[in-house]
Amino acid sequence: MTEDYFAWTDRLFDLGQIFVKPEALEGIRVVEVATLIMGPSNADYLAEFGAEVIKVELPGTGDTMRYVIPDGRPWKNANPAFMPQNRSKHHIALDIRRPEGQELFRQLAVKSDFLVENLRAGTMEGWGLGWRQLSALNPRLIYMADSGFGQWGPFSQGRASYDGVAQVVSGMAWITGFEGRPPTKVGVWIGDYFGALLAAVAGLAALEHRAETGRGQFIDLAQSEGLIRILDWTWLYHHLTSRDRPRAGNRDQAIAPSDIFRTRDGFVAVAAGQDEEFRGLARAMGRPELADDPRFKTLEARLAPEANEELCRIIGAWAAGRTRAEIDELGARFGFAAAPVMNAADIYEDEHYRRRGAVFHFEDPLYGPMADHGPVPKLSETPGRIKWGCKPVGWHNEYVFRRVLGLTSAELADLEAKGIIGRWGTRPGAKPPDDWQGEGKVF
Amino acid sequence: MGKPDETWEPWVREATDPKRAPAKPEALARLRVLDLSRANFGGLYCSSILAEFGAEVIRIEPPDGDPARRFTPFGLLHHGTGLPYLVEGRNKFHVTLNLEAEEGRELFRTLARRADVVIESFRPGQMDGWGIGYRQLSALDPRLIYCALATYGQFGPKAGCGKPDYDVTNQALSGIVWVTGEMETPGDPKPWEVPTKVGSWLGWHVGGAWAAFAILLALHHRRRSGRGQLIDVSGAEGVMRMINYNVAWYHTCRELMVRVGNLDQGIYPYGFIRVKDGYIFIAGFSDVNFQAITTLMGRPDLPKDPRFDSFLKRAKLENAMALKEEMEQWSVRHTAEEILQMVLAYRGAGVVGMGRANLPSETLGEAHWWERGIFQVVDDPVYGKVLIQGQPVKMTETPPRVKWVCRPVGADNEFIYLKYLGLGRERLQALRVRGVL
Repeated sequence: MTEDYFAWTDRLFDLGQIFVKPEALEGIRVVEVATLIMGPSNADYLAEFGAEVIKVELPGTGDTMRYVIPDGRPWKNANPAFMPQNRSKHHIALDIRRPEGQELFRQLAVKSDFLVENLRAGTMEGWGLGWRQLSALNPRLIYMADSGFGQWGPFSQGRASYDGVAQVVSGMAWITGFEGRPPTKVGVWIGDYFGALLAAVAGLAALEHRAETGRGQFIDLAQSEGLIRILDWTWLYHHLTSRDRPRAGNRDQAIAPSDIFRTRDGFVAVAAGQDEEFRGLARAMGRPELADDPRFKTLEARLAPEANEELCRIIGAWAAGRTRAEIDELGARFGFAAAPVMNAADIYEDEHYRRRGAVFHFEDPLYGPMADHGPVPKLSETPGRIKWGCKPVGWHNEYVFRRVLGLTSAELADLEAKGIIGRWGTRPGAKPPDDWQGEGKVF
Repeated sequence: MGKPDETWEPWVREATDPKRAPAKPEALARLRVLDLSRANFGGLYCSSILAEFGAEVIRIEPPDGDPARRFTPFGLLHHGTGLPYLVEGRNKFHVTLNLEAEEGRELFRTLARRADVVIESFRPGQMDGWGIGYRQLSALDPRLIYCALATYGQFGPKAGCGKPDYDVTNQALSGIVWVTGEMETPGDPKPWEVPTKVGSWLGWHVGGAWAAFAILLALHHRRRSGRGQLIDVSGAEGVMRMINYNVAWYHTCRELMVRVGNLDQGIYPYGFIRVKDGYIFIAGFSDVNFQAITTLMGRPDLPKDPRFDSFLKRAKLENAMALKEEMEQWSVRHTAEEILQMVLAYRGAGVVGMGRANLPSETLGEAHWWERGIFQVVDDPVYGKVLIQGQPVKMTETPPRVKWVCRPVGADNEFIYLKYLGLGRERLQALRVRGVL
């Protein structure tokens, strides 16, 4: 008899076997010159699948994100908001504004497969470290430039960008939130994280091309355009109707029913777009006749705005008397989508997420037992993993400069004396814990 | 920071202009993909990305079409197909096949042996139960890359729960809904002061992008090892990865990210404020950048105000709310465009990040996006002139591109089944009569 599907998948994806298996990007080196969220996330996604990421920071201060500390309370002198986009990286501090630093950087780039940066367009070129200069030295290099508005075009020059800018200029904020209320800011840096993912996808496509031709290339990714791409029917709807897509709160205007409801103990999302799913929901509600009601019988009927509104009102009245868990369980029993609105504690404690490594636990040599968002796609042969967490500025100087560039102790000491390379300054966010005794270093 | 090189912009424009894409090679030109996803825009977006990079994507729909074709705003159809589906039909061939029939599954097995990648979004275990899941297909072709999308994934305690994969549940499970939306008015919560989902199908799109990422990782591994693999992607987990420091903060400090409306939990100014003609986003949370904002406002007193005189004090919720009011007293006297011009003309220390909360029509009216090709009007042989969002990625060597918009249900049956299975018109007709196609 064939093994049960889920017994088989449990075995195939067993978290305990991750470190027995190879990594997809083993042998791929990434050099990162990036701050805040977008560029660092782009490199992190590659690190999760085995790339060796060398994160280049300025001596002393390092990445600005080290200091954007929630509530201003560092943890063991580290910043929890710096952690999620800086796992399993090698942190070096190198002053690439100075010629000697630039020369070392060029040597690194020659030995790298990917370069990730998210500086102002043209900054790297100004230092002699841009695509045109580096590709002449290393034609196999794949260069990912992450930005708000792109490397060229009217908005690319002289305009600072943040995630929030991408949210508003893309129209995402406009279509989020309730009618009659202001446009709504998505509560996370979605433009950064998503733009970083698209850049990583493009980078891997470029790797395929390189495998065939031996040639690298330059990639320009604007996070605002990443968000424009995923606003589904917004643009075509305007093209065909000359209307702007309205805000509709939690109700979906293209799938009915699909909404979020208040229950006795929190909020629950419910969706049943296909007619047989809706039939299941109606039965779960003890209202099977709704599935035969001409207003609701077919998806086409339910998508009429009045019908959609009325149906969601009926479901809302039903949900108000139930708990999140009851509705979740009914979804499984009757075959419609139902899920609680989860917060960090719900997610952290959830057994399913833990068993899948979506909440990933690992032991860091400096910080001890840690947990964070794990690699998203689960690959049976080359699973992603987190090996260690973020590290203080310049933590891996000796390891990287000695192993990759072959510098000697005397040369390192000389460069450090001149401030070309360096390590952490005195601010929390950049330095090791106060009780650090030198443990956890490679060299 | 160094001075940007001024020769860069014209050079890179020329080198990555999407208008030059048709003459350049495609990164995935040799890749063949079967997309079986059903009622699922995660799978559809995944195969769109691969198709934009040149893969030959064959959409396999049930005989009456993918239900996703009918997920459309207010029921609106264009030449019989819903708007969201038209957006994700790009560069794909569309065939029908009845996988419920054994004869259909046999045809699928043959097709799969010729394919590099299979994408599906059925309930976990469904394909396996039909005898055409990864276990069975990989026995026929160990090089196959098989990507399954499902809210709860293919393994773990809830994987077999049987609930379908939807955008709204993916969003709810990820944590993004919890942290988005207006704060409750104490003692008098309004109907709109609730956890709020992102307006678009983020819970699907993000999952689809991760699936494309994973397929390319697997392709890289296959090149070295000769082996394919099974990929398990959850849209819920895909978005969860993007919820800032949600889990790390809870693990280290036992603190919860919460929803703070159009402010930000950790930094300020970093949020939306009202202007004469709508709303803008404005940012300047570091000391020097805050100085820049207050200079534009003509309020040099604010950086010295004891509520606002440090990064941390400005981020405190009650201070941020007070600061927002101070900023709005200034901003409501100006239009978004006037403030943008002030920001662009500013030459002092620090930078201000700013943008207008655009209506979709306003974004469509800006030349920047058209020049860069993120918006395109494609003249499609079936659907006519259709405006769709193009591909955000610009590349020098292998730029992605859109070649056609979509195809009707089964439009490519003759071409694809002849090409891969040698089935001519008569045999196709017989299969159609038997309900196999």
